[in-house]
Amino acid sequence: MKCKRCDLDTVRVMTKSPVGNEWEVYVCDTCHYSWRSTEEVHVNDVFKLKPDSIPGLQQIPPIPPLKTK
Amino acid sequence: MAKVYKDLREFLATLEEEGQLVRIKEEVNPEPDIGAAGRACANMAEKPAVLFEKVKGYKYSVVTNVHGSWQNHALMMGMPKNTPVKEQFFELNRRWDKFPVPPKIVSRENASCKENTVTENINIFEILPLYRINDQDGGFFISKASVITGDPEFPDDLNKQNVGTYRIQVKDIDRIGIQALPFHDIAIQLRKAEEVNEPLPIAIALGNNPLVTFMASTPVAYDQNEYEFVGALQDGVPTEIVKADTAEHLYVPAHAEVILEGYIMPRVRTCEGPFGEFPGSYSGARNQCEIKITRITHRNNPIFENLYLGMPWTEIDYLMALNTSVPLYKQLKSSFPEIQAVNAMYTHGIGTIVSTKVRYGGFGKGVAFRLLSTPHGMPYCKIIIIVDEFVDPFNLEQVMWALTTRVKPTEHVTIIHNCAGMPLDPSSIPAGMHDKLIIDATTPVPPEPNPRSVELLKPSPATPKWEEIIKKLMDAAAKK
Repeated sequence: MKCKRCDLDTVRVMTKSPVGNEWEVYVCDTCHYSWRSTEEVHVNDVFKLKPDSIPGLQQIPPIPPLKTK
Repeated sequence: MAKVYKDLREFLATLEEEGQLVRIKEEVNPEPDIGAAGRACANMAEKPAVLFEKVKGYKYSVVTNVHGSWQNHALMMGMPKNTPVKEQFFELNRRWDKFPVPPKIVSRENASCKENTVTENINIFEILPLYRINDQDGGFFISKASVITGDPEFPDDLNKQNVGTYRIQVKDIDRIGIQALPFHDIAIQLRKAEEVNEPLPIAIALGNNPLVTFMASTPVAYDQNEYEFVGALQDGVPTEIVKADTAEHLYVPAHAEVILEGYIMPRVRTCEGPFGEFPGSYSGARNQCEIKITRITHRNNPIFENLYLGMPWTEIDYLMALNTSVPLYKQLKSSFPEIQAVNAMYTHGIGTIVSTKVRYGGFGKGVAFRLLSTPHGMPYCKIIIIVDEFVDPFNLEQVMWALTTRVKPTEHVTIIHNCAGMPLDPSSIPAGMHDKLIIDATTPVPPEPNPRSVELLKPSPATPKWEEIIKKLMDAAAKK
């Protein structure tokens, strides 16, 4: 299964419904997008992600320099 | 003495009695039903809370829009549900001055939030009916948590313990992302932990006494304890807290529905978002912090309380309306007793209206500068309108009157370039920087010239009598 947002095949089942066999939730281990099997998922083009762009996304908050002890 | 709620359940019972809560007994789908109902509530006149008793595939219930109307807001404060906003503002002000009211620390046995404990095979979906709030959100979000963290440098200083509301994205069954913006209190603590590569212990309280949630989203000073404010806003009645299980120095609301405990993983950032945010637009994907959950405690049959955000106004706008206005009012008033009221209800204070007496020429603009030098005002406040003391800043018709009749654009409108900004405001470029707009709509006083001074129209002294007569006739007509 491919990720609905970044198109990679790094998708796994995160969990299944605690009651009954109603749904599964999938998550992409690359871009962390997640969705439920019962959803009609449509990721708008503006929110699609290219995997190689993820490291360059803004970092919040910035990781501070390590203090030397 | 105002009515005080021990926990979320007591408040929900009051909302139901007052006709401000509806129950959905039929099973609903997590998507799109719960988010859609949140939006629907915001569109209605009465704006009730909605309790979903059965959500497909889940064990427990969900409630949304608990704070999402002026009626619910008044009931939260133990006031009649039709109390006008300005009265709620001044009542909050009165209670604010009771700070600090130290919280009552209860034993683990007496804390409802500890009725059940989960330490193995943690899966938050077993406890929380998680769902996508808006369709382009990057996952399922927890939008109404009270997040508790301590200062690593002063772990035993309860005043530096922070209770704040931050958006949380579910990344896995035991891992969640959190947004800690650099100007938020939690970011001060996180920085200290990350500088020495240590995890930051964290507790996340869900489904709280409504004033705990209210204070968690209130901008108070770093060394002011939010629980001591809850006691003040409960008109002097202490709120009950209990020690967290996994961190000696953290205290959580004793009767919360659910407590997630764990730690922020140091120096880790992973992709988070987008998320439909309070300015009515999505924030993009960013690399943000992650929390590992190591323990859950919860009440029997926990209720998951979550919040809808959308194009304003929605629940979040009611939650952070007066709790943004009051602290700004207090800070301005302490410098300038002339300040009458502050309305910072528009998009968390991005738009703010201040009513003030004017002591000398330029005073109104000076008040705007003071607003811009408050901790919240510096990044958030962008469009600042200053009006005379006789203009009610909560009455937008009066504010528009002041703008249309008091303002000479070449003299009274000022733009200050390149200041701090609120990054979630999509017009902030780069995110976090912005210009400030000050509109001084006060009447000019010396030494500022006012060459066309006018006499204002005054109501006849008989007006109140006629208001009463007309109201009685209207009430009689309504009963027919």
